[in-house]
Amino acid sequence: MKDTLGLVFFPAFDWMISPGHPERQERLLYTRDQLLEEGLFDCEEIKECRPRIAQINDLQRAHIGVPAVDKLITPAHLVSAGGCLTAADAVMKKEVKRAFALVRPPGHHAMRVVHGIRGFCIVNIEAIMVEYLRSKYQVRKIAVVDTDVHHGDGSQDIFYHDPDTLYISFHQDGRTLYPGTGFPDEAGSPAAWGTNINLPLLPRTGDAGLHQLYDGLISHILEDFRPELIINSAGQDNHFSDPLASMSITAQGYARLADKLKADIAVLEGGYSIENALPYVNTGIILAMAGMDYSKVVEPDLSGLYGQDPRCSKRVEELIGQVGEIYFNRTKVSRQLLEKYGGIWQRRKSIYYDEEGIREQQVETVRYCSCGGYFTIQTEAAGTRFGNQNAFIACVPRNACAACRQKAHDEALAEKKRGRWQYVLVQNIVDGFIETI
Amino acid sequence: MLLGIDVGGTFTDAVIIKDEMVIEQAKVATDHKNVLKSIIEALDRVLFKGAAGDLERVAISSTIVTNALTENKLEPVFLAVITGPGMNVEDKFPVKPCYLSGCVDHRGKITASVKLEELQEWKDTIGNVCAVSGKFAVRDPEQEYKVERELKSYGSSKVFLGSELSGELNFIRRTNSAYFAAAVYKIFSDFCQKVKQALADRYINAPVYILKADGGTLPLEAALEQPVEAVFTGPAASVLGIEALAAPGVNSISLDVGGTTTDIAFWEGGLPLMAKKGAVINGYSTAVHSFHMRSIGIGGDSKITKDGDGYRVGPKREGPAAAVGGSAPTLSDAFIVGGYVEFGDKNKALDAIATLGGNPETEAEKIVQAAVSKITATIEEMLITWAKQPVYTVNDVIRGTEFVPKQLTGVGGGSMGLVNALGVAMGLPVEIPMGAMVANAIGAAVARPTLSAELRADTTEGYYLIPESGKRQPLPKKFNEVMARNLLSEWLKGQAEKWKIPQEETELISREHFRTVHGYYDIGDIYSLRMQLKPGILHKVSCGEVKI
Repeated sequence: MKDTLGLVFFPAFDWMISPGHPERQERLLYTRDQLLEEGLFDCEEIKECRPRIAQINDLQRAHIGVPAVDKLITPAHLVSAGGCLTAADAVMKKEVKRAFALVRPPGHHAMRVVHGIRGFCIVNIEAIMVEYLRSKYQVRKIAVVDTDVHHGDGSQDIFYHDPDTLYISFHQDGRTLYPGTGFPDEAGSPAAWGTNINLPLLPRTGDAGLHQLYDGLISHILEDFRPELIINSAGQDNHFSDPLASMSITAQGYARLADKLKADIAVLEGGYSIENALPYVNTGIILAMAGMDYSKVVEPDLSGLYGQDPRCSKRVEELIGQVGEIYFNRTKVSRQLLEKYGGIWQRRKSIYYDEEGIREQQVETVRYCSCGGYFTIQTEAAGTRFGNQNAFIACVPRNACAACRQKAHDEALAEKKRGRWQYVLVQNIVDGFIETI
Repeated sequence: MLLGIDVGGTFTDAVIIKDEMVIEQAKVATDHKNVLKSIIEALDRVLFKGAAGDLERVAISSTIVTNALTENKLEPVFLAVITGPGMNVEDKFPVKPCYLSGCVDHRGKITASVKLEELQEWKDTIGNVCAVSGKFAVRDPEQEYKVERELKSYGSSKVFLGSELSGELNFIRRTNSAYFAAAVYKIFSDFCQKVKQALADRYINAPVYILKADGGTLPLEAALEQPVEAVFTGPAASVLGIEALAAPGVNSISLDVGGTTTDIAFWEGGLPLMAKKGAVINGYSTAVHSFHMRSIGIGGDSKITKDGDGYRVGPKREGPAAAVGGSAPTLSDAFIVGGYVEFGDKNKALDAIATLGGNPETEAEKIVQAAVSKITATIEEMLITWAKQPVYTVNDVIRGTEFVPKQLTGVGGGSMGLVNALGVAMGLPVEIPMGAMVANAIGAAVARPTLSAELRADTTEGYYLIPESGKRQPLPKKFNEVMARNLLSEWLKGQAEKWKIPQEETELISREHFRTVHGYYDIGDIYSLRMQLKPGILHKVSCGEVKI
């Protein structure tokens, strides 16, 4: 197969969150202009694909919407999720070597349970694609490398119990940026310990620090994990000109990273320097993924670029040591944790939906079994567009044994009888079917 | 009266049309070494006494540019490009260009001035005809103008600019268009001179129009400013001919079945669909617009080759059908034997098909089905390409762009058999209009002049620009979209006047409007409009079928 890139370009020129919002019609306008003007769509290395429309079931492999996912999304979300599925199909059917779903709206802040919109996201388009790849193509081990400046807390949430999904996110330190999470100790639930990798970087970290981190740690982790597929959540807001963040990465920095990472599928996430960064970063990533020369992709205006503070590379060094230890000792620690907690592990979460002001409280309980077990989520949300709402959800993973399936259902039934929930639901991850009890 | 001439691969046709009727038609063999001679021969056949003075218009669709390009008879051209940052364009152009520093960004800001002194070291290679193209020059062409002026100071007499040839984004296509325009300029202008002379010798003073690949015509003088547009006009003429003769009212697939090839096009609302990508010349993308068409090597004279239990049809031409004196079986013979058409000597066709072994009727049907399945496969690919074309709004994804054909329209000598067989296979009704034999010349005769242009207004930057026209202009007070439309429409009308093109309505082809935001607050608007003079045909034509 030739070194071809399937490019699912979908700028959603008729979709916005609200006028003036960073997620507005204009966001990929200049990127479209740049790609067209470069003549990229005419290159034989690049094949443009139209996104398809995802089905509700595709979304429900990764999500449980309360009251229902179709009541929360807009048609644009079905198209951007569908764009990821189109990219996945193109790669898996070997029509192209790699694919880039350059689509909006984005998704990596959307968690498993959805009450509304947070961090510009309603559904997690990478997670939807990961579950699709598993159900349709039986891919097991997948690595998701999130290069957005914000911690992908939604992706972390969805993959947190799954040892077959390696989620690596580097981002601007949560103490200085939305969503405020993403520290190394959030490393996965006991059975998946060490497969959730958080690398918080200091503001102003530049190309040097980023590549120091990639070469010194991320590449080694990927090599060790041996994923069947690498997915890049290709946010572009680490760019020095991004108005929402404070990092110092250039288009060259991003393109070289894409070249090293050699992701099978990339998916656009954030990136809001729509004039000064996105046209160049996207051109760079596309060229790198298509195996073409990207060395001439340089922003015409580098005036906002400052050198990296020595403290940035010091932080990178610390992360390489600290997180390397978490990852490479993960099997041992995971065993210890499972022993410590016995058959059950629980976490409580407070989730704030910035866009709609929703406050959600969750209790998530994982019950272990040799099949991997199942988990339940109790959710209570205040201030949704449907008022205050709550639900009890049992999630049945694809590998759950018959006994666990039964237990998950029984538990849901028992909760239904208690009568304290507005909704009692069972999510079947394998087919995206959600049962209302 | 309108005179139309089409130079085809095998024949050169000419027609004279009066009151929407073909009153004269002729077909002569094309002499590839001397296209002009073929044109004059066909012209003299249809030109009757007293006709010269009554002609309102002469339109020519010729292979002169196509041949020069495909046979690589190109003049040396000095090509200068201002790439700015981006993709490495090293092997994207037919010649090694001179790279000039300088940069215009996507908003049309000049972020680095072009360095004219860099031309110094190229001064020995700067010839008479040059091409200049800059990335995002359609957002501000000033840098291209500077280079043009400099090249003229080095002695160049003709400089083609990418931004003048196309106002659309795509630096590579514009550059190649400018290069090819320059490379065929001399051949094309010599040809135009000789055509004018030949017409003058026959006392024809009517304006001369040249057919373009997009199915429009341009006055000769205007065509000289963009000679590359006169490439691949054969299929365009055929499409226009179909429009003049049939203009399918419902969604239709047209098939122009010649001796060697079949051209397939799609029709919606009586107009042919245009391709989304620019025409590819010698392997290089250009900004030349053309129809959504495919040409496949199957025609009435196609060679039949046994292939296992079945047959292969084409792509080689065998010569005339056995039924009309040929020596070997052709696709037409299979149609005659299969009872799809009646012409020539059926017994000779039967004998020829019999040489393939087996029962001639059965074998003939197999041959017909082989041709039909190859064509349906191509149609299928065209349908998929159309249905999957990129769209950039949620609305368009949901609405879809599927093309659902309701009818087949056939023209050309071999259409009767093939299109009927195809109609049966696809379950679609078939229409074969009269006059199909000289459809191309009819198409050329009635093709409308076309002009299109783009206007981009950026209210934050405070300018508007029609790239084809040149300079950025300050925005008038209280600027809005209606004003933008009027400005563009007026400019097109002005151009029409300049080239003495009869005034036509202008129509909007595409429109974009974006609110722009800076630092959390709305600050302005970007409008992009594209308008054209109404394309298509001057009027429909009826024609009796004439045996040639």
